[in-house]
Order: sequence, then C-alpha cells, then structure tokens
Amino acid sequence: MSTNFYQRQSDARRTTKWLVVVFILAVIAIVATVFLATIGLIEASGKSQLFAHSAAGYSPRAWNIPLGAGGITLALIASGTLFKLAQLRGGGTTVAENLGAQRVPQNTTDPVERRLVNVVEEMALASGVPVPPVYLLKNENAINAFAAGYSPSDAVVAVTQGTAEQLTRDQLQGVVAHEFSHILNGDMRLNIRMIGVLHGILLMGLIGRMIFRIAAHGGGNRRSSKGDPTIYFLVVGLVLIVIGSLGTFFGGLIKAAVSRQREFLADASAVQFTRNPEGIAGALKRIGAFASGSRLKNAHAAELSHMYFSQGVWEGFTGLMATHPPLEKRILALDPQWDGKYPALPEIPDVVTELSTPAGMVGLAAGADEVPLEVVRRSPEQVGAPTEIHREYAAELIASLPPVILDTVREPYGARAVMFSLLLDSNPEIAEQQYASLSENISSDVVDLTKKIEPSVRTIDPRARLPLVDLSLPALRTMTSEQYRNFSRAFAKLVEADQRIAAFEWMLHSVLLRHLRPQFEPSRPPRVAYYSLARLEKEVGTILSTLANLDNTGKRIETSFRHAAKLLPDLSIPLLPVSECTLPALQRALETLRTVTPKHRYRIIEAAAELICYDRDVSIKEAELFRGICDLLDCPMPPLLPGQPITARQ
Amino acid sequence: MSPWIILAIIVGIGFLLLLYGVGIFNHLVALRNRFQNAFSQIEVQLKRRYDLIPNLVEVAKGYMSHEKGTLEAVINARNQAVGGLQKAAASPGDPKAMQELAAAETALGGTLGRLFALSEAYPDLKANQNMAQLTEELTSTENRVAFARQAYNDAVTAYNTYRQSFPPVFFANMFGHSRDAELLEFADSEAIAEAPKVSFE
Repeated sequence: MSTNFYQRQSDARRTTKWLVVVFILAVIAIVATVFLATIGLIEASGKSQLFAHSAAGYSPRAWNIPLGAGGITLALIASGTLFKLAQLRGGGTTVAENLGAQRVPQNTTDPVERRLVNVVEEMALASGVPVPPVYLLKNENAINAFAAGYSPSDAVVAVTQGTAEQLTRDQLQGVVAHEFSHILNGDMRLNIRMIGVLHGILLMGLIGRMIFRIAAHGGGNRRSSKGDPTIYFLVVGLVLIVIGSLGTFFGGLIKAAVSRQREFLADASAVQFTRNPEGIAGALKRIGAFASGSRLKNAHAAELSHMYFSQGVWEGFTGLMATHPPLEKRILALDPQWDGKYPALPEIPDVVTELSTPAGMVGLAAGADEVPLEVVRRSPEQVGAPTEIHREYAAELIASLPPVILDTVREPYGARAVMFSLLLDSNPEIAEQQYASLSENISSDVVDLTKKIEPSVRTIDPRARLPLVDLSLPALRTMTSEQYRNFSRAFAKLVEADQRIAAFEWMLHSVLLRHLRPQFEPSRPPRVAYYSLARLEKEVGTILSTLANLDNTGKRIETSFRHAAKLLPDLSIPLLPVSECTLPALQRALETLRTVTPKHRYRIIEAAAELICYDRDVSIKEAELFRGICDLLDCPMPPLLPGQPITARQ
Repeated sequence: MSPWIILAIIVGIGFLLLLYGVGIFNHLVALRNRFQNAFSQIEVQLKRRYDLIPNLVEVAKGYMSHEKGTLEAVINARNQAVGGLQKAAASPGDPKAMQELAAAETALGGTLGRLFALSEAYPDLKANQNMAQLTEELTSTENRVAFARQAYNDAVTAYNTYRQSFPPVFFANMFGHSRDAELLEFADSEAIAEAPKVSFE
C-alpha cells in the first residue's frame, strides 16, 4: 500500500467532511422542498395572500406558514441527528450493548472465547493500541464482526458466535485484523457520524408516516364547517414521507459508497497486518459457503450495516445500496487464483489444539539491550501499520510474561495491583513511602496483592511494561465509577508520593489514564484545532527539549536538539532549559499537539525519532518512552524490533 | 387557531415523545446488559473458587481422616453452589436464582470456615506447602469475588434506580423491564455488620 497511517487518517477526516457537506446540501434541499411545497399548497387552496402585495398590499404574516414549515423540518432533522449522536457518545461499549452483545471476560476459560481474546490481544499489542474489550453476539450464527468507538481508547471489537466457532485461527486473525484496520484508519468515528446523520433524515420519514396515519384515522368523523384541516395533515404527512424516503435513499447511497471503499482498504490492511491473504480470504469463502452467510438477526442491525465485516443486512437488488463490495470481488482481490467455488462442507476447526502459542523466534529471544538505530529512525512510517512480525512478537511477549501476572492483569481486581506495582520505585525507601500512601487510599487486600505481585513485575522486561498497561485496560474498564474514583485517587497519590517520578513511569501513568478516562468521565474526542505547527513552536520545543535533556548531558543537549530541529526548518523551536522541562509541561504540550493534523504530528514524531537516535544509542527504555509519546499523540506505534523489515521512506 | 399551528404542536410533541421513548428504551437495554456483563466477572471468579475446593479437600484428606464428615459437607456445599451458579448465570438478576446462589455461597463459606478451624488442630497440614498455597489462592479469589460483586451490585443499583425513577417508571413495564434486578449479597457482609455479642457469665 502506498499510503501511510497519517495519510489514511487525513483521508478519513476528509471523507467525513465531504459527507457532512453532502449532508448539509441534502438538508438544504429538503428544507427548500418543504418550503416550496407549502407555498404551492397555499396557492392551490386559493386563499393566497403571498403574492398579493402588488394589488392589495403586502402581508408579511402570510409568509409565516411556509417559513414555519421549513423551520420545523430543519429542527426535526437537527434534533434527530443530535439525539442519535448524543446516544452514541458512550462510544463502542454503548453500540455493542445496544445490539445485545455480551462482554467476554478477559480471563475467560472457555476455549472458544479464550482463542478469540488471545487473537485480539495479540493484534492490539502488535499495533500498539490498548486491548479493546471483546464482545460476543451470542445468538447470531452467521459469520460477521464489527468494531465500534470514537478512538482506540473506547473501541470495542464484537464478533458473532458463528465467527468465534466456525473459523480457524488464521481466518479469525484475518477478521480481527480487518476490524483493527477500521480502528487504526479512523473509520469508526466516520461510521458513528454516518449513523447520526442518517438518523435525522430517517426520523422525518417516520414522523411523516405517523402524521399520515393519525390524519387518515381521524379525518373520517370530524367535519368542520371551516374547510377540512385533516386534508392538510394528510398532505403534509405524505410530503414528509416522500422527502424522508428520498433522503434516506440518497443518504443510504452515500453511506454505501463510502463504506464499500473503506472495506477494500480494510481488507488490504488486514493482509498487510497478517501477511497471510489466505486467512481473511478463507473467512470470506466460509461466509459464501455458509447457509446463513453474514446476515444478522438483530432488529438494530440495519443501522450499523456499514460497520460489519461483511454485508449484515439485505443489500437490495442492484448492489447500489450494498455497504460492502460483493463477496466474490473481495475474495478475488485477495486470492486471484480462486476458482469461484466455495468449499462445500467446511470442517469445524478444533479450537483446543489451536490454543497453544506458536514457537518463538523473534525479538525477545534475541535479548538485545538496544534497539537498532535504523528501526527507530524509520519508525514514524510504521505507525498504524503493524506487520506479521509484530504480531508474532506480541504473541511471544504474552507467552513470556509470568502466568501469575497474566492471570492477574486480565481481571479487574488484580489489574489494579499490577498497575500499582508498575509505578513502584526501585529504591526500597521510596517504595516504602509509596506503600504507606497506598495503604491510606485503598483497601488492604489490594495492597497485599500488590506486595505479592511486585517481585514478578519487577523482573519483567521494560519492553513488556507498556504492553502490560494495554493488557490491563479491558479489565480496568469494567470497574464501576465508584471503583474507578478510588483507583484513580490512589494512583495519583502513588505518583505524588514518589517526588521525582521518572519519565518512563510518568509515561505509563499518562497512557493508562488517557485510555481509561473516556470510559468514566465525560470527555470529547479530540478534534483537529491546528492545521500547522506555526503557533506551536513552544509545545514542540517542550517535547524535543525534554527528550534532549533525558538522553544527553552537557553540550550534547544542544547539538542533538539542533540536529532534530533541522527536520522542522520552517519553525524556530526554542531549546528550553532543564528547569522548564517538567513532566506537567510535557503533558500540556502533548495534549495540545494531539489536536494538530496527522501530517504535522508525523513531523514531530520524525524529529523526536531523529533526536533519540542522535547519540547512536537507543536503550530499550528510551524506545519505549518514545512509543508512549507516540501513543499520547494518538499515533499508535507498533513495537520496535531488531531485524524487522524496514519500511522505505516515501 | 390555524391548522398549521395545531399541526406544529402535534408534530413537536409527538416527536419529542418518540425520541424520549427511544432514549429510555435504549438506556434500559444498555443498563441491563451492563449488569449482566458484570455478573460474568463474578462467574469467572466463583468457578475458579469451585475448582480450587476439591483440590483443597484432596490435600486435607491425607491429614484429617477423622474429619470425614466435615470434608464431605464441604464437597456437598460446593456442588450445591456450582448448581446455584449455573442457574444464576442463566438469568443474572433473577431474584430467585440470586438468592439461591447467595444461600449456597453462604453455606459453602460456613463449611469452609469450619474446615479451616479444624485444620488448626493439625500442625502437619498447616505446614503442608500445597495447603498453604491453596488457602492463599482461595483467599485471594474471595477478594476478587468481593470486588466483582461490588461492581455487579453497583450496576444493578444503577439499573434499578433508573427503572424506578420518574419518567422511565411508566415505560419500563411496557419495554419488558418489569422487575428489579436482585443484588447479590453474601452472608459475610451481614456478619461484619452485626455487633459482637459479649457475655459476662
């Protein structure tokens, strides 16, 4: 694929904008039609005073009626849209829960569910995003899946029972990779907006139908002497129905066209992520062979039709309304040798034998203390584009974690203890203070568990720490708001107790809170506020100066900084003294820079990568800190591995 | 009044009611799904607890051959609780199933307590590595159950409160949410609340 993450993010945003413009045009057209139809109606009724001003004087009051009708229409559409968007604000969890999907516990022991959770965990760690909660659509035997949410922080992945049971591990991996591509490419936000926008128009048709029915029922027995008002109701209802259906039809066309294009992209990305076209092609063939295909039973299914892995509702006769390209076309794009036949009797895979993790060969075993320079230098290109090597590494990383940590971090009770122990200082005295602060803020059984788990957490590789945060998130997100309040208060006190918190621990803390917060506190998804870096020189300076100070001493601080600043020649970035490179300042800078367009965030990441490479030595901690910073900038960075193929710079 | 104004009012009110009804419906569904999902966390932890107990009894058997009655009581209570959990998992929030599970859990807690009290008299058993490990596992699983139970009870409370609050209370029955969901309370929380009895005889 020629485009990279930043380009695809920009594309998704541009498509959203285009969609909004088309929608506004459609709304204007609808309002204008209502306006004109009302005028026509009044004219036809013969009591017109609208255009009578030339003869008997101008009567502005007569215009109130058509203006009012237009206004009501506008208000209807707007409130319908806003209402639906407000409803979907809860993100992916709400979407999944409205569909009746059931949450799969992260620590499930059911083999089918275990395999599914494993596949999702591997894929998430390979892409460098938090592990999304997994939902299962229990009564759906068709093969389908969807991802929903506004951002990776509140994304969920849901699959049908059929998907979890009927596919082999490779095929399941293909499906999950396809959904992750939607998460990484920013399609989910687009999808949710589309639901909201179409809802406004859809509602109008519904209301028209309602008015029509009321008028038709009540019209027979109430005959007033002053003309018949029910005829107006009938006509207005009819007009609303016609306009509503036309609007829904064209809206559906737009939605389908946008969606089909994103599906091809997601298929292609899935192949890129897994390096295995047979997986996803096999899953698609299985859908073709399967009697119930990918059709869903749930009544709400139509609303989400564009979010599924494969066509979830009837697509109409022509395929114009299909939200997904035809199955044959998608399979042929992945497997050009395909003979057009679906395997007749698909064998049900033996899930249990597939549970064992693959034999390790990458990354961890190599045991290098340093990350190769070229990998870091080229890393900005690999954001949002994990490959098979990353997935293998992720699988191996999970397998290498002590089972006790893995068990603990996958359930909400223990996950808190693991997160606490990640922040404990290596100095026993400070750790003592931290424990004291912890005991004041949280119940003693959690403190005990923290003490118990701490030695094993200390021994794990620094590279496994950020993944541990990602692994803990689905469990932590099942806390109730009260449990969350206690947890976050204790967590904050723990950080405070350690007066000189290290940058690395700070990064873990920020990444965790950033992904956890949207679940419990009302927050808005970030939106683009800056289209260039021109007014953000101080923020960029804060990041680069902090990195320069962390990595170097003496004169090299300045030379490395200048070296990195050369990549941003259009800006005059200030080198801040050490005293100004505080972690709160870094936090603020990162929060501001998150609202810059992806293209410019790429430039910041590029400069940061250049800076940490300057001393020709990138330690694992540096590399992981860098990955954390990328994450805080909303650019999910796959693990930096020795020996991975290096993507060419564009 | 002109028909247009009447029309506008009817459309406006009808529209608002429709939106409101849809909102209440969806919120009820989401809250119910949330507490049902919270129950699955309890289920995972309880299953783990029920898997540990036969191992514990197996180890204890070697040392406490005279306490056969107690050991059998533990196993029976455990089997009862497994049945209770299966019923409760089939319909989380159902008052009967939840009370059954709570009762079975309380009985199990009681017999386990007796077993531990008796085991004090067997120093060899207390010194046994396996026993220590299993006891530790069991305690930590109990903490997890308590935490998951808190989450479940919070979710159930949110659901019940919403269901009983002013406008939704009219619609809840119509939408098939005719009953409050049941909290899951184990007897141990009552035991803690009860003041210790002091006797001066």
